Amino acid sequence: MKLIYDLPEPLAQEVECRLAGEPILFCVPSDVSLDGRFVAGFVVLSRTRLVVTDEVNVVRDMSIASGSEYRATSLVHNGVLEARVDGEPTILARYSVSHAARYALIAKALSQLAEGQEPRVFSTPEDDTCPRCGRSYPEGSTVCPACLNKLAVLKRLFEIARPYWPLLALAVVLLWAITGIHLVVPVIYRVLIDGYLKPGRHEPKTILLLVTAIGALNLCAAGISVVRNRLMVTTGGRLARDLRAMVFGKIQMLSLAYLDRRKTGDLMNRVSGDTERVQHFIESQSTMAVNQALVLIGVAVILFMSDWRLAFLVIFPTPIVLAAVRLMQEWIRLVFRRQWRLHDAVNSLLQDILSGIRIVKAFGQEDREVARFRKASRQLATVTAGNEKTWNTLFPAMGFILGLGNFLVLYYGGGLVLREEMQVGELFQFSQYAGMLYGPLRWMSFIPRWFAEAMTSAERVFEVVDEEPDIKDREHPVHHRIAGRVTFEDVTFGYRSHEPVLENVSLEVEPGEMIGIVGHSGAGKSTLINLVMRLYDVDEGRILIDGIDIRDISQKDLRSQIGVVLQETFLFSGTVLENIRYAKPEASVDDVIRAAKIANAHDFIMRFTDGYDTLVGERGQRLSGGERQRIAIARALLHDPRILILDEATSSVDTETEQQIQEALARLVKNRTTFAIAHRLSTLRNADRIMVIDKGRLAELGTHESLLKARGIYYNLVMKQRQTSRLRAVEG
Amino acid sequence: MRDDSTQSLREYVEIRYLRPAECRFERGRGGFLSLELDTGEKYERVNLHRAFPLSDCDSYISVRDSESKEIGIIESLREFDEATRRLITEELDRRYFAPVITSIRSIEEEFGYSYWDVMTNAGPRRFTVRRGHGSLLQIGDARVLVVDVDGNRFEIEDYTKLQSRHSRLVESLL
Repeated sequence: MKLIYDLPEPLAQEVECRLAGEPILFCVPSDVSLDGRFVAGFVVLSRTRLVVTDEVNVVRDMSIASGSEYRATSLVHNGVLEARVDGEPTILARYSVSHAARYALIAKALSQLAEGQEPRVFSTPEDDTCPRCGRSYPEGSTVCPACLNKLAVLKRLFEIARPYWPLLALAVVLLWAITGIHLVVPVIYRVLIDGYLKPGRHEPKTILLLVTAIGALNLCAAGISVVRNRLMVTTGGRLARDLRAMVFGKIQMLSLAYLDRRKTGDLMNRVSGDTERVQHFIESQSTMAVNQALVLIGVAVILFMSDWRLAFLVIFPTPIVLAAVRLMQEWIRLVFRRQWRLHDAVNSLLQDILSGIRIVKAFGQEDREVARFRKASRQLATVTAGNEKTWNTLFPAMGFILGLGNFLVLYYGGGLVLREEMQVGELFQFSQYAGMLYGPLRWMSFIPRWFAEAMTSAERVFEVVDEEPDIKDREHPVHHRIAGRVTFEDVTFGYRSHEPVLENVSLEVEPGEMIGIVGHSGAGKSTLINLVMRLYDVDEGRILIDGIDIRDISQKDLRSQIGVVLQETFLFSGTVLENIRYAKPEASVDDVIRAAKIANAHDFIMRFTDGYDTLVGERGQRLSGGERQRIAIARALLHDPRILILDEATSSVDTETEQQIQEALARLVKNRTTFAIAHRLSTLRNADRIMVIDKGRLAELGTHESLLKARGIYYNLVMKQRQTSRLRAVEG
Repeated sequence: MRDDSTQSLREYVEIRYLRPAECRFERGRGGFLSLELDTGEKYERVNLHRAFPLSDCDSYISVRDSESKEIGIIESLREFDEATRRLITEELDRRYFAPVITSIRSIEEEFGYSYWDVMTNAGPRRFTVRRGHGSLLQIGDARVLVVDVDGNRFEIEDYTKLQSRHSRLVESLL
């Protein structure tokens, strides 16, 4: 995040004056004035002073120490920097949402400076706009489409396509063959018409020969076309497959930190959408582009060589025609986008009403919903009708315009023939070639955009492939059979390194010990277990497993010996059997059933019609929360990990299921080092020790009884829990 | 039937409406609004939240203390005298910042973003809008909110009154 901006000249001097020579530590824009206008103002910090300016004047100049409780408060689409100055809550500066994150850091720096500390806030270069041109990066990417060196990407792409070069070359040659045939056919026509289709000439055999020749050549062209298409599809498909495998494989290897930053949809797009576009480009667009260019040049040359006057007549209107076509296409794009959105809206509405049909009926709102749908439907119909009408007018018109060239050729060419300056056959040949001109021209106009899009897609694919996973194994990772002693040594960590979520946490856990973790939401509990699983690496301090730094142990070993039962029980699309076996696919059915029995899951599974073969997950049976939990426990049991991570689900289940789950959990945690984020008192009472995390720090640590006696945070949490569970017990 | 249901609602909870007679708003030196009530309650700093920021700006304004607990609701600003109304409106304007676009200088589209250069009732501004969901919200027949890449919002009161090119673009982004 950029926290040091440059001040424009007159302001810079004024501010320097006010700071009396102290260097500027931070300078951020304050782009909204206190009375709600856009201004180009700034907030400037030195070690001891805070200066707020608008475009030309200094509006506030105070010593940082005279203020306290510095805070950046978010309001609705803007924010204020405030503090308590001379006892009064005071607004210091105002800013738009664009700078909200910056002011959070500035407020932090101010608090630290006010206490006389060194500010632990740092300015880093911007990372969501391109440094070259200043445009915003598309979401989740650091590829600036404008500045992208497309040729470099193209080179790289062709390197990747190397194994397919021979096939691609063959496809190009075939394409030339087809084009060659198409270019030769008009000549034969000319020979036929001028030489043999004249009154008086009577050589049926030659005519037949020539006609057959034309037919045969066309057939040939068609045949080669089929072969070429097959070839392209196969090659393109294989290439796309290679690319997809590359991207997907890399995604799997990358750390959770990277994946968190990206949306699932974005990654999916890269694996499927972007690779598809690249495939399409290599498969058809690139080879066609080369071909069309050649055809264009070839045909133009032929035309000019036949008759330069006619050639000029043909070439002359082309730019106008192309422009007209382009405009029409833009218009079509715009209006059909609107139609498509309305269509989308109608569908969403329909889905909305139908999924909520129970509510509609319960509240008796059927008539109103019908009216709503009718209105949306009518809107769609009106727009569609309008579009169709216009399309049906413009399309024939466009056809006519495109045919204009032919008309001109016929008129003037006809004149030439009548004056015997040209033969009919020649004219026919000419008009055939002229017809071949528009196709390539139109094609060529699309090339720049297609090229840019394809290269951007390719670069997005490469972006993922090139990414270095930031959680890597050491050069020579240790292979270690875990006994279960886990040590936190002064661990500090934040998802964003300047905002620590955990600070100076130290703790030693004996093998087989169960540690309950409690704290308010957002205190850092989930972060702690993420670190034990080494989904993220610590910023400061160390985590040791049996005395060995967790970063030295091979990830594969680590993961195979740590098991999880998380809040969100995620079941893949597959059978119950497959899900339980997830961590250990080679486990025997015997073991699976044993695990299911220990987890108190066997009985409900057997009650399903398909038993262990029941399909669950996205497209399968909907399982209740309790059932999912128990399958997750069975999964963990089968895995038999040395260290267990348990993130207790807060969903309420009926008392009987609750008991079953508790029992299953108790069996699961026996003799395993367990970290359990617990909400239920019963779980906590089973724990050997309990740690309380408050605002990122280890606040309390001890047994259940000792913490109750201490009457601290834990005590309060337990008391509140007891009240709520008493209420729940009554309601059953 | 209706009276019955309202009656039963009233049994459960009473909305505390703050009437002009019982409260005094003042702006402190630091710029924040303070409130003193007839009952003697004093709040050094109150925050105002609109219940209907989009459909009815001047009614049902929740007055909350610094811990965000509701003190009461102002049923309608019109009940208050000129001066108090101004104070409250100023405070609301500080909290809610959605400048209204008065004219568009240019909109350029490129690579999935549109770059806007506009004049608003809070001054000129340039911003970038992402193509896709959520960038333009329709809140009325022709009233539109434009959301830029950072989350800033700008209001267009009637997009059909814009230049045809711009209004078509807005429509296509909706």
